Amino acid sequence: MESAETLGEVLGRRGFGRRSLLKFAIAMTSSLALPPALAPVMAANLAKAKRRSVIWLSFQECTGCLETLLRSSSPSIEALIFDFVSLDYQESLMAAAGADAERTLREAVAANKGEYLLAIDGSIPVKDGGVYSMTGGRSNLGMLSEIAADAKAVLAIGTCAAYGGIPKAYPNPTGAAGVEDLISGKPIVNIPGCPPVPEVLSGVLVHFISFGHLPELDDRKRPLAYFGTTIHDQCYRRPFYDQGKFAKSFDDEGARQGWCLFELGCKGPVTHNACASLKWNGGTSFPIESGHGCIGCSEPDFWDAGSFYTSLAGGSSAGWRNTGIALGVGVAGGLAAALSGRRKST
Amino acid sequence: MTDFSFLTDDKLVEALLMEVAGLLRGLIDRDEGGSIDLRGLPLSPSCIETLDRCLGQGEISVVLDAAGRSEIRETSLPGVWWTKHADGAGRVIALLIEVAVTPAILRADLADMKRGLDRMPALLAKTAGRTS
Repeated sequence: MESAETLGEVLGRRGFGRRSLLKFAIAMTSSLALPPALAPVMAANLAKAKRRSVIWLSFQECTGCLETLLRSSSPSIEALIFDFVSLDYQESLMAAAGADAERTLREAVAANKGEYLLAIDGSIPVKDGGVYSMTGGRSNLGMLSEIAADAKAVLAIGTCAAYGGIPKAYPNPTGAAGVEDLISGKPIVNIPGCPPVPEVLSGVLVHFISFGHLPELDDRKRPLAYFGTTIHDQCYRRPFYDQGKFAKSFDDEGARQGWCLFELGCKGPVTHNACASLKWNGGTSFPIESGHGCIGCSEPDFWDAGSFYTSLAGGSSAGWRNTGIALGVGVAGGLAAALSGRRKST
Repeated sequence: MTDFSFLTDDKLVEALLMEVAGLLRGLIDRDEGGSIDLRGLPLSPSCIETLDRCLGQGEISVVLDAAGRSEIRETSLPGVWWTKHADGAGRVIALLIEVAVTPAILRADLADMKRGLDRMPALLAKTAGRTS
């Protein structure tokens, strides 16, 4: 529920001075691609703001989105984001269950009517009246329609909530759909990714709390600051692409030299996300830095877009074929050894 | 697809130095400084190193410990500050060139000062207890 205290007071009580808040605002304006001059304004607005109620509903999902967002909290400065929101309903995290949980949801909606942010992770099954995913006897579709009606805005977190994701993949047995296919007349922000980059959610929340409106979105309702460029545009291997230097297999000399993974199926050129700049695991690295191409998980229908190892130019990955041959040789070798051993033992 | 390959390190450094000069002129003439967010630009690590080297080291270096370590140092150009903010895990979360008489983050905040003043009676009582 909304606290009477301002965020400045809450943070002050917890030993965070205004310098911490200004530093957080500097980091957030940088993350949101806002002019640095806005940082003091953002810090001042955050200090005066009250905590914003967030109601989080999980539908047809794997909990990976929630898991990654929770893992982002410690010990980075993003931990402060949990002082800025009051997470009033989240089934996996809350202590209440059953009828108590249902009552908590009703109370949170009533107390913050028209002002709460609704966060959704997971797709919504609509086939056969939405019977394929129910909570407390209600379909996900029914809950979404009801709770979204009084929300200030809806945040579709993860590719499943944004576009249907893996549940929507062919043959889509449950009729899975994304939030924007089902809700109209409400501001919707899509934060796709499987899972999404946690800092993007922090950025969207902070922008909304400090300026009272959502950040600028692209034509797919994604925050432009994070999804305005492709992984390829920001990739540290991009110079090798420009020079025509491509790894041909996952263990050739090119791969060892860090050359571009385009021919091994990297979907970076058509994938919009902030992995290459914000990175993962506290800024440690991102998939391409670990030697694997981008699989395009933040784009609609990525699961049905062909093999992860087929290049965007259409060629099947030589690297994968070679690996297959190597695996085949390995299996054959192993089998021969096993047969040889068996012969010896008999 | 955005192609930044035409921008060499030298050209980027030159462009950024010209922007710094413009901000410094604004600070001198109109008391209006500004900041350049280096993480928001397509700069290679070598380009950032070159820029850092070009700007050089001035008279002041400050370490700030607020939700992680921050290093703020004046460059060889008075009023031009090289600012690096890290979080509690040591991860760099902002890298800026600030053009200001004093970076805003160094100034004591009024609410923080009032909280400090509120703590003074307890501090005085503790001190009095020691000296009596």
